Amino acid sequence: MRNVKRFLSLILTVAMTLGMVACGAADTTSSNSDASSADSTKEAAAESSTPGSYDQVTYAYCTFNNIPTEEDLDVVEEAINEITREKIGAEITLMPIQIFEYSSKINLALQGGEKIDIFESLGDFGSYVSSDMCYDITDLIDTYAPGAKEIVGDSWLDACKSNGVLYGIPTMKPIALTPMLIYRQDIADELGIDISKVNSIEDVTEVLRAVKAGKPDMIPLAAVQTGEIGLSTNYGEVDFLNDDRYKPIGVLVGDDLTVTDLYGTDHFRDLCKLVRGWYNDGLVMQDAATTNSAAAETMSSGNYFGYLAAYSYPEEDTAASLEAQVAGYDLGAKIIGDAYLSTSDINAITFMVASTTDVPEAALKFLDLTYTDEDIINLLIYGIEGRDYVKNADGSVSYPEGQDAATVPYTAQLSCGTLGNFFKMYQMGVANDASLEWELEQNKSAKTSPAMGFTFDSSNVKTQYTAVLNVISQYLPGLICGSLDPDTEIDKFIQALNDAGYQDILNEKQTQLDAWKAGK
Amino acid sequence: MEKTLVKSRKKRFSNLSLALIALPGVLYLIINNYIPMFGVFLAFKKYSLKKGIFGSDWAGFDNFKFLFKTKDAFIMTRNTVLYNVAFIIIGTIVAIAVAVMMCELGDKKRVKGFQALLLLPNLLSWVVIGFIVYAFLNADSGYLNNTVLRTLGINPVSWYATTGPWPAILIIVFLWKNMGYQSIVYMASISGIDKSIYEAAAIDGASKMKQIFKITLPLLKPTVITLVLMSIGRIFYSDFGLFYQVPQNSGALFSVTQTIDTYVYRGLMELNDVGMSAAAGLYQSFVGFVLVLIANFTVRKIDPDNALF
Amino acid sequence: MTESKAFNRVSTVILTILVVLAMLPIVLIVVASFTAETTLIRDGYRFMPKELSLDAYYYMLKQGKIILRSYGVSFLVTFGGTAVSVLLTTMLAYPMARKAFKYRNLLAFFVFFTMLFNGGIVPSYIMWTRFFHIKDTIWALMIPNYLVSAFNVILVKNYFQNSIPDSLIEAAQLDGASEFQIFVKVMLPLAVPTVATISLFTGIAYWNDWTNGLYYVNNEKFYSIQQLLMKIMSNIQALRSNSNASLLGTGAVDLPSTSVRMAMAVIGILPIVIIYPFVQKYLVKGVIVGAVKG
Repeated sequence: MRNVKRFLSLILTVAMTLGMVACGAADTTSSNSDASSADSTKEAAAESSTPGSYDQVTYAYCTFNNIPTEEDLDVVEEAINEITREKIGAEITLMPIQIFEYSSKINLALQGGEKIDIFESLGDFGSYVSSDMCYDITDLIDTYAPGAKEIVGDSWLDACKSNGVLYGIPTMKPIALTPMLIYRQDIADELGIDISKVNSIEDVTEVLRAVKAGKPDMIPLAAVQTGEIGLSTNYGEVDFLNDDRYKPIGVLVGDDLTVTDLYGTDHFRDLCKLVRGWYNDGLVMQDAATTNSAAAETMSSGNYFGYLAAYSYPEEDTAASLEAQVAGYDLGAKIIGDAYLSTSDINAITFMVASTTDVPEAALKFLDLTYTDEDIINLLIYGIEGRDYVKNADGSVSYPEGQDAATVPYTAQLSCGTLGNFFKMYQMGVANDASLEWELEQNKSAKTSPAMGFTFDSSNVKTQYTAVLNVISQYLPGLICGSLDPDTEIDKFIQALNDAGYQDILNEKQTQLDAWKAGK
Repeated sequence: MEKTLVKSRKKRFSNLSLALIALPGVLYLIINNYIPMFGVFLAFKKYSLKKGIFGSDWAGFDNFKFLFKTKDAFIMTRNTVLYNVAFIIIGTIVAIAVAVMMCELGDKKRVKGFQALLLLPNLLSWVVIGFIVYAFLNADSGYLNNTVLRTLGINPVSWYATTGPWPAILIIVFLWKNMGYQSIVYMASISGIDKSIYEAAAIDGASKMKQIFKITLPLLKPTVITLVLMSIGRIFYSDFGLFYQVPQNSGALFSVTQTIDTYVYRGLMELNDVGMSAAAGLYQSFVGFVLVLIANFTVRKIDPDNALF
Repeated sequence: MTESKAFNRVSTVILTILVVLAMLPIVLIVVASFTAETTLIRDGYRFMPKELSLDAYYYMLKQGKIILRSYGVSFLVTFGGTAVSVLLTTMLAYPMARKAFKYRNLLAFFVFFTMLFNGGIVPSYIMWTRFFHIKDTIWALMIPNYLVSAFNVILVKNYFQNSIPDSLIEAAQLDGASEFQIFVKVMLPLAVPTVATISLFTGIAYWNDWTNGLYYVNNEKFYSIQQLLMKIMSNIQALRSNSNASLLGTGAVDLPSTSVRMAMAVIGILPIVIIYPFVQKYLVKGVIVGAVKG
């Protein structure tokens, strides 16, 4: 039973992280990283002077595609090994694991003493660190993964630290989530709604009213997922300090380093009132708090006008790619807020070296290649050229004639953006460099939390956590979906939180945050 | 003198060969259940992968605290126990009733058909069942609101926000899923009853009802006692799917749907703490264990043949 | 006689109602799996949907070969596992039921204890993978957890104890039969109803299981049908929530996720529905016939 639970929570995590995954990037990073990787190559080659005795590194990664057969996987492995033997003196064993079993399998395998040298955090960074599953790479990274370090940058690496110790390297991908209104372009045109005037969540109200007036049968706003109609991505400049954005416990607001109770803020109350208004006026789905359909499904019924969510690509790309999922309805996307980056956005997918590894240096060297070496990255994602994919004239790639993701011997195409460096991958279908630039720019320009790099260790307040999380799942979905009246329920909510030991967690967070700040 | 010696040797031999017959099963349980039981130590440890299960630091009873230091402790324990009691009582009555009726049907083909159909719900996962229940109860397009209540002229009910009906709903869903499955045990027991007893009773002019109440039910007693004793052992456990998937994790229903398992799940989803989940399991098992020992002791006093051990 | 007939009639009526009630939701699932995705979301689940569609099954058909292979794995595991399990279970239960057996209570306690306490998955995992090396083999689906269930052992013991008279055993002993012979020749044939019951329970448990696969199987060659369905569903869910630009034009359009979920439920229980009558036939002497008098 316990694993059903793990599985469920994993699905939620994935639903969240996947919002940030996108594929199809061309090589836009400058060539200076290549130089550094060449240096480490030389070093590595010198170290492994005895041919035949290569370090063995097992790379466990999660795939959304089929697991290839052993024979087909061997071919890819061998192609990777041809590079790694020479460059880093190591041989790689690939261990693709289905997304839905990834966390349980990694946990079991590590605890069962199996050989896994590299794995990814998939949203569980904190718990891997607190159960000692990851190797301290603070001192090793400069020597063995300088390329990755440079590409990712120090500020992102800080997000993978706990108590000053570096435990992993985050994937390099478009990470900044920008809140948007996704809406039916055809309906907006028909009703003459000027979406360009919508610049905040408050502005959305007018649009919803117009839809309700023009199309009384339509439900203007859908839930993006169970218990969530889009408030969570519209809190503004809020750092959730390592908690799930869907279950905030003590946050930072703006540039202030004081741990704040989000639920007690006027901002939260106003947002709940806003949604409550929508709910009472019939502008949102009535059972958003318990629905079991995600926005894409709901939208494809044609009965809904739009939903609020956050994505990491430009408006047009977002709309275009979502259209495929909503039965081809004409969609538009409008940015209604700014992206905001905090620690857990970045360490959501972190590659870590297992604490049980016997080859930490080789593991790091290979990890480095997954950020710097175009060939390695594309072998991991697309497999063997000619067999698993073909290159097009514009530099993008596609599946061979008559094949698709389900039939080629090897592909991990849907995992792109979770493996190493997204910006060095071939693009699938059509190359679009402009979007890539926008994404890189968003990564750089997104406002960053003042506590970037702070990770919270919850072990002193675990008891309070369990109680508080239960209280949150009791009240929060109802409040942010409008089915609970904020005027009466927020106070009850806060009272229940305090009874559950909420304040202890806030205090502990503040203490750790102060210590972190002092140590900086 | 000689005779008793032979007898006791025979007895020893008999004990030995009986033990040998049990041996494969015993070995399996040792490998599959007993040796891995050292994992319960985790409940008292602050787990660290590097240090391993035995090497990790002791945490005393810290891992257990979260089960008690909450206002919900009473609610979740009450819900877990009350639902289990309801399931044991109602479930047993319904299962026996179904089994008795099946056995009285006489027509083999029909019994086969009925039995197969009643078993089907047991093959569905709770996730799918959650969907079905949702299809009946959801506010916008649900069957009850849209079809049944509308026809009756009753205002629609927001089922996932109204606690009142949920104990009944959960019991119905439980029965729906398990009725067929549980009745099978009783059917097997009934079929083990010596037919000549019924024939004799029929000759004596006992009515069908009398036969059921005077012969069938008393002879089912051992089976009922065994099954109830086993259920008591799991009285602090709840079927997670039934209490989590079926109410769609709706916060408004927590006061009637929160059980120990759902509380632990909701609380540990983020923390992912090995020690705390081990502690929860140990606590649930331990309470069940104590209750079973008491119950079994009582049964042993009254009716030694029917005690579990 | 008329009283008995009346009783029979009442039973039939009540059971028919129960069966219909039990079947309604199942019918709903089947209908939903044939309903167009958009209709499903707009109108909810209906017994008479406005628009029918085979999309869900087309989607599953694309995975046809894999599904067939997984059916094969599931059948093998279910039948193989159940056979071994029934043997081990009855052998364990028999001594417990013999009043002559000195350690019967100890053994009963030993068995029952496993129902209550367990050490969690990690120690079991270490045991089975490190010492028995069952990872990524068919044994991984059969051996851990399901071979001996305390619940079944106690059911069988209970049956042996209450339904088989001691005189039979004594008679066999007088004939000079060994304990093993008594077990095989006297007890097992008389225990058919309970053997049928536990076979059914064990079979269902094996068929529905996906946890062994989750823990011990990574090679898709050994995916059981449940594990496969789980995988398909979670991948759809992942694709759905992933606004993946590169999916454009690759044909992964319009994933019918709700109806697929229903189709998967149908696919998961369909083989059981098909083979159940045959299994029942093989258990002629089992529950049903044994239970039906006259």
